Amino acid sequence: MRVATVLFLTLYLLRVLITELNHTLSGVHVWIFAGGLFIAYSALMLPFRQGFAASVLAGLLCDSLAPVAFGTHAALFAIAHAVVYNVRERMQRDETAVRVSVALIVNLALFFLLTIVRIPHAPGDSIVWPRILSDLVCSQVALALIAPWFFAFQFRILELTGAYSSRAA
Amino acid sequence: MRIGRSQRFDQARPFVTLGLALAVWLILPVGIKAFARASFFEMTAPLAAVASYANDLQRFWGLRLHSKDELIEAGRDLARLDASYALSVQQNGELQDQVERLEALLRMPPYDHFRFEQARVAQRDFSGWWQRMVIRKGADYGIPVGAPVVYSGGLVGRVSEVHAYTSVVEMISDPGLRIAAVVDGDNRPISYQGGENPVFGPARGVIEFVPLDIYANSAAPKRLATSGLGGVYPPGLTIGRVVHVEPSADGLFKTGEVELDPRLANLTEVSVLVPSNPG
Repeated sequence: MRVATVLFLTLYLLRVLITELNHTLSGVHVWIFAGGLFIAYSALMLPFRQGFAASVLAGLLCDSLAPVAFGTHAALFAIAHAVVYNVRERMQRDETAVRVSVALIVNLALFFLLTIVRIPHAPGDSIVWPRILSDLVCSQVALALIAPWFFAFQFRILELTGAYSSRAA
Repeated sequence: MRIGRSQRFDQARPFVTLGLALAVWLILPVGIKAFARASFFEMTAPLAAVASYANDLQRFWGLRLHSKDELIEAGRDLARLDASYALSVQQNGELQDQVERLEALLRMPPYDHFRFEQARVAQRDFSGWWQRMVIRKGADYGIPVGAPVVYSGGLVGRVSEVHAYTSVVEMISDPGLRIAAVVDGDNRPISYQGGENPVFGPARGVIEFVPLDIYANSAAPKRLATSGLGGVYPPGLTIGRVVHVEPSADGLFKTGEVELDPRLANLTEVSVLVPSNPG
């Protein structure tokens, strides 16, 4: 379970950094969602059980800070993790560009699924959609910038703690 | 043949695990889920508080860089404000005594009294889906769930979650928050709901069930305040300015748009109104 624990700690740090970023950007009403980044590395590079545990725990962490039913993020992250894990052998997953692309696609899917969960609370679709779309664009741009650094960080931390097993599955 | 079956099972294994995990989650008792949620929240709370304290320290050191002339000027302005507030406090005291005498004379039930609990904002979370902030006071200061939160410009929102040392405030710009409100000079209740939160612009809300004889536009806006109905928010707290009204589809009422104070997006300190006589 060392891999899952170490990976969860990196995701915990990511959560803290994203929260601080959103706090700083709140004055201009810009918000960043980085759900794809929570599962991309673990689903692409790690054995299923350890990666899955880390993704679900990260989902629960996101759930605790959001006004959604507890388990919503965790369930979405778990589904995304299983899907990405199942198709990962067909990808050049050692390439950073491929990992970033997977993170972006997963982020897009998670963002729309969360929007479907939250949209019934809004007073009118036409009112909230422009903001949701601008959040999505900002999130994708931010994720593309952060992802290469974060994947390298996760790799390095796993290596330093001796928890990394290359392409084990 | 055996290898083929084994490969197929290997491919399905992630989904079998996923199904099992979801099934276990669905049958898990609510109490365990609530405990897990609180535990995960408390796991992040210390770091949010530390970041907030670091910001305060940064501001403190930033202020130390100001020249003595600037500080003297600020002190003089504060002294003027202090004098005018001292006068207001005296007037408030007299009015309070008068209200209490009238309540006793007419045997009226007393108005809800509140204790002001000032709290620093530790974290703001303003997405298109929700608008919330975390403040640095919680159960340790007796903050109850549902307590109104105010600032110098009016209403901020209400406390939606209370944790050990922090609380979560649902803001009036949150699309899920509804409040009974009144327009200045009218006592008929209308429904306010948080709405649009455009990028680089002030947040906006929507109002419904506005009587047909109420008019407002951006040139002549009307102040929107809490009505006091429902018992959560005391009456008269400013929500925003009604800048547009138009007849609704059914023609029985009007709907409209409310512009919220831009300062809501940069709040660093708020006051929680803690009821003195809860229940």
